Amino acid sequence: MLRAAPPLLSVQPTRALVDEQFSVLVEKLPLACPVTVRSLHHSEDKDDWEAYGFYVSDHRGVVSVSEDLSFGGTYTGKEPMGLLWSMRPVPGSRSGLRLRRRNVCGPMLVNILVYSGHEGFRGRAPLASVLTERWHMAPGVQRIKVGQEGVRGTLFIPPGPGPFPGLLDLWGGGGGLVEYRAALLASRGYVSLALEYFSAGELQSADVEFSYFETAFNIIKEHPKVMADRVGLFGLSLGSMVSLYLASESTVVQPRCIVCISGNYCYPRGQMLRGVNENLRNRYFDKERVDENNHHIWRDISLEIIKDPAEKVNVSKISAPMLLVNGCDDQNWCTVETAEDITQMMRAVGKEHLLSKLAYPDTGHLIEPPYSPHFRATNFIVDITKKKVILLWGGQTKPHSDAQEDAWRKILSFLQHHLYGSPTLKARM
Amino acid sequence: MALIHVQVTYTMSTCGPPITDAGQTRWPPPFFSSEDAALLPGFPKQSFPPPKAILKTSSGSEREHFCCLTLLSLTCFAASLAMCFNVFTVNLTLTVCKHGFMFPLCLLVSSKVTTDHSVGGSYLGCEPMGLFWGLQPAPGEREGLRLRKKNVEAPYTVHISLLEGHVSPSEGQTTRLATVTTERWYMAPGVKRIEIRQDGVVGTLFLPPGPGPFPAILDLWGMGGGLVEYRSALFASRGYASLSLAYFGHKELPGPLNRINVGDSYFKSAFHLLQAHSQVCTDRIGIFGLSFGVYLSLRIGIHLGVTPSCLICINGPVGSTSKLSDPDGKTKQFKSEQTNWTFDDQGYVSFRKVSLPSNLFNGSLVKTENLTCPLMYIVGEDDQSASSKENADLIEETLRSVGKSHLFTRLSYPGAGHLIEPPYSPNSRASLWSVKPKKLVTLWGGHLAPHAAAQEDSWRKILEFLESNLRV
Repeated sequence: MLRAAPPLLSVQPTRALVDEQFSVLVEKLPLACPVTVRSLHHSEDKDDWEAYGFYVSDHRGVVSVSEDLSFGGTYTGKEPMGLLWSMRPVPGSRSGLRLRRRNVCGPMLVNILVYSGHEGFRGRAPLASVLTERWHMAPGVQRIKVGQEGVRGTLFIPPGPGPFPGLLDLWGGGGGLVEYRAALLASRGYVSLALEYFSAGELQSADVEFSYFETAFNIIKEHPKVMADRVGLFGLSLGSMVSLYLASESTVVQPRCIVCISGNYCYPRGQMLRGVNENLRNRYFDKERVDENNHHIWRDISLEIIKDPAEKVNVSKISAPMLLVNGCDDQNWCTVETAEDITQMMRAVGKEHLLSKLAYPDTGHLIEPPYSPHFRATNFIVDITKKKVILLWGGQTKPHSDAQEDAWRKILSFLQHHLYGSPTLKARM
Repeated sequence: MALIHVQVTYTMSTCGPPITDAGQTRWPPPFFSSEDAALLPGFPKQSFPPPKAILKTSSGSEREHFCCLTLLSLTCFAASLAMCFNVFTVNLTLTVCKHGFMFPLCLLVSSKVTTDHSVGGSYLGCEPMGLFWGLQPAPGEREGLRLRKKNVEAPYTVHISLLEGHVSPSEGQTTRLATVTTERWYMAPGVKRIEIRQDGVVGTLFLPPGPGPFPAILDLWGMGGGLVEYRSALFASRGYASLSLAYFGHKELPGPLNRINVGDSYFKSAFHLLQAHSQVCTDRIGIFGLSFGVYLSLRIGIHLGVTPSCLICINGPVGSTSKLSDPDGKTKQFKSEQTNWTFDDQGYVSFRKVSLPSNLFNGSLVKTENLTCPLMYIVGEDDQSASSKENADLIEETLRSVGKSHLFTRLSYPGAGHLIEPPYSPNSRASLWSVKPKKLVTLWGGHLAPHAAAQEDSWRKILEFLESNLRV
């Protein structure tokens, strides 16, 4: 039976780290032919995620996702990585989903497919497909479960003799043990400890003291492959708050530098971690809003809190360089205002030069490694009530995705400068 | 301390840049005089897209960068634990020159393997992929080793390390500054590996991911025997369904292991099996042969009544080196024909003279004048195992005499040996051939650097040839 050769689809590279770019090329198409290029991923939670762009081939029969414009789909314009960052659950999926990798020892498998035509492509069989692997762990990175001294977490160590700088990686109020960012940081040359400091949804009952974090910090510092004087803190959301608190109040934790993503600094003086949310709920519950979709907005609560100095970490005691990364459309916490306030506090004691700030327009709360899909609102278990609500994080997909890409590059250069650079280097203009 | 960054840590075995900086490939003096340091035949003059594996290191302070344009010496070595626990090493020595700085404002001194020159070690010159093709057995390893991937479903793991100073890693103390691990794969994600034991055919089929249908390749190796899968796996990773076929020295084939017990009907079955596969385009099948596989490719493609779209032949004869035992093409025992073996002063055996056209069994010569599809023939000019040049000459002359020169493409590589394989794998100039009845090491030929260039250039041309014959 004679059959025509189908179009040739290639993705370079087929295996990569999640923060690396790829280029998708379709060749041997008919000339000026409308096609849809689609990505498809079956998640660990058994949901299907997809992204797609509508393209038209040129007169060589070629569509290059890196070079050509998408005319529609989940992204438009010239977007080499749109097939990843614009991913969303396929129609008919459950609501409020978030795509986060649990098993970092294996890759995210993403199928790239090409279909003829634009609208209605789902009803047709694909013309060609390839499989790509997206990894958080580079070859040679070691993953080690930590359970000593009551500390719960996972340590990732880059390949090679070392010694390496270290990072304590702290996530936010969702809790649990989230490994993928620490794995990626180790793939970029940092011994990283992903720390679990309360189980998912259990913030209220966490008996987590100051010393828990100090112990965790020391585990990194004292590791034979770590340079003890080059350990930093990396936090997102609640994790930023913990980082700032440790850096200002702890005599044990002396970070070399701090990265705070979507950070807040509201830590009632003298109270423990569980006091944080109690505070919010009890004092400002009337400030919590819901939008027209019944998504919960906590931003206004935060605006109230930052008016009161007693609620804040005394950041002026911090002597380490800090990078503050925030989204201007953050609906969960007023992170930009917080950063401004921190700046004031540091300026007052002559330490403003330690601060580097990034504020991204139309970007929300969950600023993650690049090419991760954007989530404007997702399910969240509120600790006290154990209720599942949908929290509004904010951000618009395209600007948020640009922000993730830019922020990650700047974060890596910040870390490289402070943790790998020479100590005598001064910051340049 | 040094931060090593390898950009793109998982790569296909054949990803990499051409070894050129201005269209020239430079070779150290033993192989070419300076006037001869010319382009390889047909070597393309344009530059290619950026390389896939970039080794970038950074260390040192700002002061070193701006004041002292001298030299920061580093040694990198790649150690690969391949199959059979042999350890291969290469080392390269880099010297940073001021042209190596990509970003003048960058605070860190960086040395890039892609643009800097190696001044010593296993290879010289500007060789971005030298860390792979320059791999050699480490001191103390057994003699006569050859690096070949048996299990294509797992990658080669190559450790690339940075050492201080210009040292050979095997000599005494060296400070290892940093290491990264890279994986080199023959199989892309989604490629399916299918064992074929059907219609008497013994082989392994590799299918690209996707619905297909795909153009296909029948892949034939030489008298080393067994079932060699890696080239087929790589073709599938490049979008061709590819069948590696066993025909000799495989326990699932009939008859004694030291004879070829299959003939024309076997090869015909294999071709038809491939053709009939639901994911294969019936009219877009090529045949690929190395060494004795060349004779088989020519015989199948011209005598057997199947219609391949193209043939690719590397370093092999146009007839059988043994007397045929029956009209079906089966031959007598290979090893009994030792009259044309020659030995060098180290006792290594060369089979080169065996396949001189005058020594080939007359009744077996393929009637290349009946060729009906394009044929690409690749010659390693330093081939010590087959009389490749002479056989190529014979085919070329035959085709010319019947006005079919337009079907013939010839690539000829000086300094390259018998085993012209997919690029970036290291060449073995000689390796262990047999242990019984006595230990024999056979000479393949080829010098490391020009052989590497031949592999790289020929692979590119092979893919283009397949593209224009199987995909248009």
